[in-house]
Amino acid sequence: MASFSGYLRARSDDDLVALLTRRPDLATPSPATLASLAARATSRSSLDRALAGVDALVLQVVEAVVVLTEDPAAPAPSVADVVRAVGADADGPADADAAAPEAGAADAAVGAAVAAAVDLALLWPDDDGLHAAPGLADALGATLAGLAPATSGGDRRRVEAPADPRAVLADAPAGAAQVVDALLWGPPVGRAPAGGPAGQAVDWLVGHGLLVRGDDRHVVLPRDVALRLREGRTHRAPALAPGLTSAPVRPDALVAAESTGAAERTVRLVRQLLHLWEQTPPGVLRAGGLGSRDLRRTAQALDVDEAEAAWLVETAASAGLLADDGEESPSFVPTVEADVWDGEDVPHRWARLARSWLLSARTPWLVGERDERGTLRAALDPELARPWVPRLRRSVLDVLAGLHPGAAPDADAVHALLRWRTPRSVPPRATVDAVLREAGLLGVLGAGALSSAGRALLIEDAALDAGDAAHAPDPAAALAADLPPAVDEVLLQGDLTGVVPGRPSPELEELLETAARVESRGGAMTVRFTADTVRRALDAGASADDLLARLGAASRGRVPQPLEYLVRDVARRHGLLRAGAASAYVRSDDPALLAGLAEDPRLADLGLRALAPTVLVADASTAELLEVLRARGLAPVAEDARGAVVHALTPARRVRGRAAVRARRRAADGGPVHQPDVRARAARVVDVLRRADASAVAVAAADDAPDDPREDLGARAAAVAERARAGRSGAGRAPTTGVRTTPGPSPATRDGGTSDPADALLLLREAAQARTLVWVELVGPDGRSERRLVRPLRVEGGRLRALDPRREAELTVAVHRIASVVPADAPD
Amino acid sequence: MPDGPLIVQSDKTLLLEVDHDLADACRRAIAPFAELERAPEHVHTYRLTPLGLWNARAAGHDAEQVVDTLLEYSRYPVPHALLVDVAETMARYGRLQLVQHPVHGLVLHALDPAVLVEVMRSKKTAGLLGARIDETDVVVHASERGHLKQVLLKLGWPAEDLAGYVDGEAHPIALAEDGWSLRPYQNQAVENFWHGGSGVVVLPCGAGKTLVGAGAMAKSSTTTLILVTNTVSARQWRDELVKRTSLTEDEIGEYSGTRKEIRPVTIATYQVLTTKRKGVYTHLELLDARDWGLVVYDEVHLLPAPIFRMTADLQARRRLGLTATLVREDGREDEVFSLIGPKRFDAPWKDIEAQGYIAPAECVEVRLTLPDHERMLYATAEPEERYRLAATADGKQRVVDQVVAKHAGEPTLVIGQYLDQLHEIAEHIGADVITGETPVKERQRLFDAFRSGEITKLVVSKVANFSIDLPEASVAIQVSGSFGSRQEEAQRLGRIMRPKASGKTAHFYTVVARDTVDQEFAAHRQRFLAEQGYAYTIVDAEDLGVAK
Repeated sequence: MASFSGYLRARSDDDLVALLTRRPDLATPSPATLASLAARATSRSSLDRALAGVDALVLQVVEAVVVLTEDPAAPAPSVADVVRAVGADADGPADADAAAPEAGAADAAVGAAVAAAVDLALLWPDDDGLHAAPGLADALGATLAGLAPATSGGDRRRVEAPADPRAVLADAPAGAAQVVDALLWGPPVGRAPAGGPAGQAVDWLVGHGLLVRGDDRHVVLPRDVALRLREGRTHRAPALAPGLTSAPVRPDALVAAESTGAAERTVRLVRQLLHLWEQTPPGVLRAGGLGSRDLRRTAQALDVDEAEAAWLVETAASAGLLADDGEESPSFVPTVEADVWDGEDVPHRWARLARSWLLSARTPWLVGERDERGTLRAALDPELARPWVPRLRRSVLDVLAGLHPGAAPDADAVHALLRWRTPRSVPPRATVDAVLREAGLLGVLGAGALSSAGRALLIEDAALDAGDAAHAPDPAAALAADLPPAVDEVLLQGDLTGVVPGRPSPELEELLETAARVESRGGAMTVRFTADTVRRALDAGASADDLLARLGAASRGRVPQPLEYLVRDVARRHGLLRAGAASAYVRSDDPALLAGLAEDPRLADLGLRALAPTVLVADASTAELLEVLRARGLAPVAEDARGAVVHALTPARRVRGRAAVRARRRAADGGPVHQPDVRARAARVVDVLRRADASAVAVAAADDAPDDPREDLGARAAAVAERARAGRSGAGRAPTTGVRTTPGPSPATRDGGTSDPADALLLLREAAQARTLVWVELVGPDGRSERRLVRPLRVEGGRLRALDPRREAELTVAVHRIASVVPADAPD
Repeated sequence: MPDGPLIVQSDKTLLLEVDHDLADACRRAIAPFAELERAPEHVHTYRLTPLGLWNARAAGHDAEQVVDTLLEYSRYPVPHALLVDVAETMARYGRLQLVQHPVHGLVLHALDPAVLVEVMRSKKTAGLLGARIDETDVVVHASERGHLKQVLLKLGWPAEDLAGYVDGEAHPIALAEDGWSLRPYQNQAVENFWHGGSGVVVLPCGAGKTLVGAGAMAKSSTTTLILVTNTVSARQWRDELVKRTSLTEDEIGEYSGTRKEIRPVTIATYQVLTTKRKGVYTHLELLDARDWGLVVYDEVHLLPAPIFRMTADLQARRRLGLTATLVREDGREDEVFSLIGPKRFDAPWKDIEAQGYIAPAECVEVRLTLPDHERMLYATAEPEERYRLAATADGKQRVVDQVVAKHAGEPTLVIGQYLDQLHEIAEHIGADVITGETPVKERQRLFDAFRSGEITKLVVSKVANFSIDLPEASVAIQVSGSFGSRQEEAQRLGRIMRPKASGKTAHFYTVVARDTVDQEFAAHRQRFLAEQGYAYTIVDAEDLGVAK
């Protein structure tokens, strides 16, 4: 008996090239010998890959050969045997005896399927008949062709299977035949009813070896019984391709109209998207991708739902029109390519989008769903690419391309055909729906049927794949041929609307998009003029006459009076307010003085301009202005927003404390990265603590070291506590460090006093609580200070409310005005 | 048709090019199912809505007809999804029917059992439906007939009401067609209504809705309850009925704030019906006071919400709604549909005008530039004060003078909102004023004098907006008005669009202060009027002298 490797070795070079083309994984990396090629071709992974690409009929044929050659003693089946095994020779196994030679079509299809399996080296023929490639049985799995695994029940107690199960069944109780029939063509496992007539039938079948109990509740039809009952067949009927002849057919004009409408819409929306992001580029998420808020904003601006917005964004990005700008805080912005694209006509813009869509590995339909970790999937997220997507797009569109023109099968039919084409790798229904939806949005489909531009796109793609660019049709030209002729006339109406009764020419569309708001599109375009839209046109540089002339030229009749009035009215108000930039101003009631300044060449550096006889503006800053004017011998004063004269104008510079700045930086940088830093700091802290510990001992030993610069925490706390005690009692000496006021010569008034704001507040609160008197030193607005003896009532919200017992008056002062507080010894 | 007059947009609007040869044929073909949204000079916009499509189904049109019509007249291929949607929407009407069952009384009968199941599962129908009789029928509590119809419409399965009506107490009423007769479209409206059972007739102001009501009453010849907006309107109905039918004054009762008469034909105001005392509607017994055979609702678009609730209980009686527009400012068009009934007749305003029954009207907006001191006042005013300031600008007086002078001798109305302003104007042009405070008797006297041509100028406040009859007004000048609602515009224009003996063009002037909120409101008005197809011109007050 010949072997598979022998068979391969006998193939011609052309055959081998064809094989390597059909199964490209065999060629990479290049196998060194034929033997290694054969080994690779029979490896599990390569067989799986080959099986994933075959249709249901080829799979049946392969299964049939595997089943028929299972018994090493059985002769290799011929093609005719396979035809019979898959049920292609007759209507079905029920009347198997009535062999049907007229079933020619199915016969031929099975023959072709056998040839295809041979071409893929899944089967190999020799003089005896067909053989399965080694390893194929394993690759197909144990339950092929709806049969139970060959070893099923082998390890369980089982009654010997009858040689002629049909004969046994003839004596079976009622219901038994139905049970067997239900399991006959697979799946071979059924739930066994407990008790009842059906239960009894099952018990009888098990007793006669026709069924095997899988577990307590399930029974299995053993493989050998099934094969005998199938009478040598492996399949009930050949899996012929589902016909899509029932798909509705759309008229060419409808397909053309809807596909071009969709194509134009998508091109327009992508253009709007680019302009939108040019103005306000959305940021890139840390993980890459577009934030959901930005997506929502984009969807709103484009007036589409978020799913479509995600698709548009992805399509534009696939076409290279959008990209991450790579800045430090990155944003998505239009690319240089986008400018080139924007300059092309609609068909070419479309073709670019469509080509890149077809080849794109992106899965925009997943946007908005959650991934395994529960994170929302974002548009433009790098994770959203799947290598199989381009293949799926092709195969879905190929289904449509294979039908007659205008056929619009629904998603069910397309999915059914795809399931038949690749039963070992069926694309999920949702992705097929998504691809069809995308194709509809793009205009590759119109009213559900492949458009001529879509067809051209597919043919071009196939031609380019085959390296035959010269014969590739131009999708752009196909789209252009389907576009309805452009209309350059608009019907303007008294209610300030306009209607273009068809597809507007690019010039007209631009005019109307600038000067009006588009209300609806479709077969026609309707627009509405409002004061806002007219102003927008004027802002863009048009004049009223210019705008009216252009509208008049495009209008069928004359421009309606209300519209003309609107344009003129808006133009009248346009520019009534003028805005500009200046840095400072000079004003004076003396126009002559200002005129002199504006003309003075020595002041030219200030950039003085007269806005009104009494107002000049300058490009220089206020400080500079004052300085230069004073140098000129004038006496300017600065004023604030309310016109009050301000004396000091140099802005006080302030910086945050270093520690605060560092803390902020750390917060901005985010923690983990700087962990070593944290650890080092912790180490330092520990070190400090150790030293503090040591010094605490020293302090304890020294007993009195308040001025020690290495004052440690414990000592400091002790000092605070001591001070607090001193404050409460109104006696005792506060430790003095640096800013603290030294107790004065008069203990009655100065003792225990403080100018430290925090301590002062403490003193005030305590005094309020104890209803005692304190001396406070208040600083007035003019900088002079006065001392007053008061009884604090309340300290709250940065204010002190207190009673002045001498003046019998209450006063409220801001605490920042209090320079120092000294407890008065005794209440009056 | 490659060159049809109709363009079908995918947003379900239909654009009809009126200058097209086939425009008229197309208009007639689409009128039953599409609602005219705006009708400016070149392209009329219709819209397909579920209500509109169901109205068409109620009138006996099927989806195939609608689809064929669209395909026939459309210039471009009709979007496929739209056709599918039309067919699906229309198929929803009438899957459920309200019928009288010989044994069980009122039942909801389903032509499609699945729909019945869906409807019965909805929480909204809880308490409205009784026991299920079989797969296709379920008992309806008779008191919930109206409520159920509302709910079913909301669920998207509008029911066809085939349960019929009580005959009501017979009362002979005949039209007294001495020297006049119903116009063809009025006859058509009466016929359509009668065959439909209940429903709404849409006719513009001045097209004789009262006569359609009278015609329906004659057809019914039963006791009739007529609900109107206010007392003035009630008296006009009474006068018109006395004049046009065999009814005498004694047979007609007025049920209003001042009088509570219940007679074979009773005219009640919405206000009295919706009066509550201690949270209870005190005059509801009127609805059951007699065995009414017909209930007429005047100005359905103004029907107050409580009346809907009451009407829900009146489903066994024939109901006729009369209105100039189905558009309600509160968006309750669907309640009109389910409680009063589908639209039974609709005539585009312009068409009636073309038939010569309504004088063509020309609308002129006069823009007045405020003097500087008024502008300053306006600019610094509180927002809530601004409208009043703009509306009562001094200069409007001069504009009114000019317009009145230009149309000297023609019956002229000045309409406004602010009484001080109206009194000033009235004094200035030497006219009487009618406001809410004017006694009914005095009002009637002035209207009569105006009608007879004894006086040619009249200044009226908002009360004049609703349902008064001033047949010979040919010039209206609006100096102020609140918020330019669509209803108000329809009413105001209605004042001057009554058929004119002379056939002269009517004029509708609005005086607007430039660059103020007044002008913003005017923009609404302009849009509405231009959408109705009226010539609309804007002139500056300074140019008024030379303007046509």
